[in-house]
Amino acid sequence: MKKYFSIAILFIIFFLLGSISISAKVDIGGELAASLIGIIDNQGNIFAYPQESLDLELFLPTLNNTQTKFEIYLFNNPMSGGFDYLIKKLYLKHRFEKLHLTLGRQPISWSFGSMLNPVDFTLGSVIMDEETGSKYQNAIEAYYPINWNSSITAIAAFPNGFRNMKWGIRGRTMLEGYDLTLNYVREPEIDSMGTIIPANQRIGFTAKGDLGPLGVYGALGYYFKDNGDGDLAYLIGGDYSYFFEAGNKIYFQLEYLSMKKDNLSSILGPFFTGNLTNNLKENVGLILGMANYEIDEFSQINLMVISSLNDGSIIVMPGYRNQLSNNLSFNLSTAIYFGKEDTLFAPNVSEGAQQKPKGMIGIGLTYSF
Amino acid sequence: MRKVKGFLLIGIIMSILFSSIIIAPALEMTAEEIINKRDDNEYIISIKAEAEMIIVSGGRKITKTMLILSDKRNALIEFTNPQDRGTKFLKRENDLWMFFPDAEEIIKISGHMLNQGMMGSDFSYQDIMESDKLTDLYDFKIIGEEEIDGHPCYVLEGVAREGVKVSYYRRVSWVDKERFIGLQEELYAQSGKLLKETKLNEAQEIEGRWIPVDSVMENKLRKDTYTGFKIVQIDFNPEIPEGTFTLQNLR
Repeated sequence: MKKYFSIAILFIIFFLLGSISISAKVDIGGELAASLIGIIDNQGNIFAYPQESLDLELFLPTLNNTQTKFEIYLFNNPMSGGFDYLIKKLYLKHRFEKLHLTLGRQPISWSFGSMLNPVDFTLGSVIMDEETGSKYQNAIEAYYPINWNSSITAIAAFPNGFRNMKWGIRGRTMLEGYDLTLNYVREPEIDSMGTIIPANQRIGFTAKGDLGPLGVYGALGYYFKDNGDGDLAYLIGGDYSYFFEAGNKIYFQLEYLSMKKDNLSSILGPFFTGNLTNNLKENVGLILGMANYEIDEFSQINLMVISSLNDGSIIVMPGYRNQLSNNLSFNLSTAIYFGKEDTLFAPNVSEGAQQKPKGMIGIGLTYSF
Repeated sequence: MRKVKGFLLIGIIMSILFSSIIIAPALEMTAEEIINKRDDNEYIISIKAEAEMIIVSGGRKITKTMLILSDKRNALIEFTNPQDRGTKFLKRENDLWMFFPDAEEIIKISGHMLNQGMMGSDFSYQDIMESDKLTDLYDFKIIGEEEIDGHPCYVLEGVAREGVKVSYYRRVSWVDKERFIGLQEELYAQSGKLLKETKLNEAQEIEGRWIPVDSVMENKLRKDTYTGFKIVQIDFNPEIPEGTFTLQNLR
C-alpha cells in the first residue's frame, strides 16, 4: 500500500514537471558521504567496515503556490551487504490562502531545541536519529497559520499502511518571548504477530525561551494508559555560550529527562535500551550534556555525554569536525560505553538483550553539491 | 543572514556600507548631522539582495551565498550555497528563528546565541539585529579628520547611550566627506578592547545611492581571519508580500 501511495505522488510530480516551463530552473543537489566505521565488541575484537551514502534532492520551482519535493537517500546496508535506499521526501505542498496542505512522504518533526524530545510526533532522540528515517512518513499535513508566530497543525500519518492511521495535532504560539507548543498524538492499535498492542495516546507541552543569559526549555508529556492511569514524563534543559579572550567560544547544553522505563525505548531506540527490564527502577532519570568548542572558523570539537542516574551507566561521545573547503568536510565521531553489567548503557548485556559494543568510531568525509 | 544595513547581515557592515550618500558635502557639520545623514541613507525602507560571504582563516577560504529580504524591523535570509542550501533565518523584532531544511523544522534561537558568529563568519546574529538608527543608539562626536585611500573623512566616535543595549559599547567611524559613506569602522567593547574592524573595499552608485558592495569585517580577537561581504545584486524598496516575515513563510 505504501508503494502505491509513493507511486501516486510520483505520478503527480511528473505531471507537474511536465507543465513547468523549460526556462524554469530545476536543480539537483545533495551530499555524498564516505566513512569507515570501527566497532569494538565485548570480547575486545575490532570490526571495521566502510559506509557510503548519497543523499540526492531535486530542487523544483514553485508552481502556482504548489511546491514539490523529492529527496532520496542511498546507502550501503551492512546487514545485507548491498545498497539500499530510503525515500526521505516525495510530496506536494500547496499553499492556499489560509491553509498549507502537504501530501506525500515528508519529514514530521516537532523539535523545539532539545536533544531528547519526549513529546515529538515520532518519538526518538533527535541526536541519535541519524538516518533511521523515523521522521519521514507518508502523511497528510494541514497547517493553519493564525498569525506570524501562531499556528495549528493537524497530521494524519500512515507509518504501517493506510489501515493504521496515526494522527496528531499541534498548536504553537509565542508568549512573553517564549515559544510554546501543545500537542496530542494518537498511535494506532498494532497487530504484532498476533499480539495486539493497544492504541496509545499522549499529550505534550513544550516551552523555550531565555532566562537572563541562559537559554532554557522544557517539556511535559502525559502518556495515557488503558487502565486509566497514565505515565508522566518531563524534561528540563538549558544552554549557554561562553567566549574566551581570544574570540573562541564554547557552547554548553544540558538537560534532564524523567520518565517511566516502559516508555524509554521509544525515546532512545531499542539499541540503547536493551537492558531495560533488568535493574532499572520504574522511573528513569537521564542526564544529557553537550559541549561544543569552536577551534577556529572551520573546525570544532564536541563532547556529548548521556548517563542514567539510576545505575550510573554512561555513554561518552567525543567528536571533531573540520570544514576542509567550500563543500568538503571531515568528520570524526566516537562513542564509548561504560557501566556495570546489566545497566542501561553498559557494553555487556544479558542474554537475549540486544548487544552493545564497548565502543564505536566513525571517520569520514562529506561532500556537498 | 546578512543584511545590508542595519537590518540584516551586516549590521555593521551595513552601517558602514549603507552609510551613505549624500549629494553635497556640508561645510561645517556637527557629528549629529553627519550621522543623521548617514542614518538617512541607511534607513532604507526595504531591500532585496543577493550577497556572498567569504570567510577566510589562515590559508583557507569558504564562500556562502544568500538571498536577503528585509524591511526596517524584520529580515529573512536564505542560504543558497550547496552545503547550507535551504537554511533560513528569520529575524522578527528581537527574536531570531532558524529553519533546518532536512527535517523542515523551525527552532527559536536562544538569546545568547545572538553573539555567536553566524554560520562561522565574523558577523554575529546580533550584528544583524541592530537595525535601529545609529543616532538612537550612540552619542557621537567628531574627533578628527583623516584621509583614507585619498578620500577625506570625518572621524567620529560614538558611545552607547545609557540604558541602550548594543553589541559594541564604542565605535569609531571614518565617514567619507564627499559621499557620506562609511569607509572604515572600529568596534570596541566597554573594556576598551578593539573587537572588530570593518573596511570598505568598493562602493557603487546604484539608483542614485552610493552603496558599499564589497567590504570586510575583521575579528580583532583572532589572528589571520576575516569575513568579506559582497553584494551581488540589490533592489531598493521591492514589493514585499504580506506574510513574508512569518514562521509559516519559513517552512
